[in-house]
Amino acid sequence: MTNTVYRLASVEVRFGLRLALDIDELEITAGRPHILMGPNGSGKSTLLSVLAFLRKPDHGCVAFSGTPVSWTRKELGSLRKCITLLHQQSYLFSGTVMANVGFGLRLRGAKKEEIRRSVGQTLATVGLAGFETRDAAHLSGGEARRVALARALACRPQVLLLDEPLAHVDQESADIIEELITAQSRDGTTIVMSSHDEHIPERLPSRVIRLKEGRMPRT
Amino acid sequence: MSFITESLRKAVLLILSGSPDVFSAVGTSLNVAVCSIVLASLLGIPAGICTAVAEFRLKRVLMVLLNSLMAVPTVVLGLLVYGLISRQGALGTWNLLFTPSGMIIGLTLLALPIVTNYSLAAVKGADWRIVPTALTLGASWLQSLVQLAREVRFGIFAAVIAGFGRVISEVGVAMMLGGNIRGYTRTMTTAIALETSKGEFAFGLALGIILMGVSLAINTVLTLLQEKRQS
Repeated sequence: MTNTVYRLASVEVRFGLRLALDIDELEITAGRPHILMGPNGSGKSTLLSVLAFLRKPDHGCVAFSGTPVSWTRKELGSLRKCITLLHQQSYLFSGTVMANVGFGLRLRGAKKEEIRRSVGQTLATVGLAGFETRDAAHLSGGEARRVALARALACRPQVLLLDEPLAHVDQESADIIEELITAQSRDGTTIVMSSHDEHIPERLPSRVIRLKEGRMPRT
Repeated sequence: MSFITESLRKAVLLILSGSPDVFSAVGTSLNVAVCSIVLASLLGIPAGICTAVAEFRLKRVLMVLLNSLMAVPTVVLGLLVYGLISRQGALGTWNLLFTPSGMIIGLTLLALPIVTNYSLAAVKGADWRIVPTALTLGASWLQSLVQLAREVRFGIFAAVIAGFGRVISEVGVAMMLGGNIRGYTRTMTTAIALETSKGEFAFGLALGIILMGVSLAINTVLTLLQEKRQS
């Protein structure tokens, strides 16, 4: 059983002529938090979209749990059920909080009662107990981010990818989100998150991956 | 002025008395319009969504073509379908000319670019994060497109309503492909054209009032949908 979740080799992503990501070699280890750091435009979000199997690299190899990814539609469908990505500006679907948080569970074939119970529990962990019937369109920014995180956590992913989860949220929401990330990491979920906060590694023991202009500078 | 007032009085009486000729035309109109809009929606909504999200070489050409097709004169479309379903046409053996089925084919082709274009516009105006969000939560490509359609449902309803408004008020295709046969293919619009030319102004006016009512209802629904989408 391999301890490496992702192995990237010679991965390149281009947007037109611009080389947005150029990773020689990168390993993401199971159960350990990884923090992507770098200035805006350094390739953090692009790397997360590759890890979320949303963007196929233009060159190179990505292996997940020891198996090289072939990027076929069928394979991507099953791989995406192992990971969830929380976008920097997370989108909530129209409808209730219950419909949003239960979205991934419904796709995984969970029964109604199981979804209701799981949604209630997950909302309680993000400090939003009793929010099930609220309209997702009428939540504050911090509440919306927490609902999006609850939606990702409800799927019980093997890997949780977070794009700037602490940006543009109030202090209360930021504290809750950070506590949850720490708890998830303790429970064995592999976490890869991007952040501008240089102090995060002090609070969350993790491996820092620095990016600059799409590359990992040698230290 | 008294001619208008007198005709209006007769028209209202025709409607209230439940004139079989009036309501037969209303029934035929609604029947062919509903059937054609259902077919156009089944084809046009997926086509609009796929065109909006897919990237392919001739996408711009297709979009220009769809825009142009929205402006095709109905008689020209009627003429083309006439050529297809008339006795010498490719589908001549199916005896579709001067039948409601023939009209439905023509009206479906008329509504198709409208439904497709409006659906395409609704999806293009949607939040780009919908599909990636659905995918990262474990949705298949098809499931994420279904979710996208749900998110832009008001825009898609508007597309269907706009298409319905076009086919219910159309006269060229209905006249050429239906033949205006009383009690069979005579619609509100073709009956108005025929009866008015015969001097039966009140009869035409009665159908005109009903048609205006249908148009008013369609526009009310469209306005409500737009308000809901904006909110």
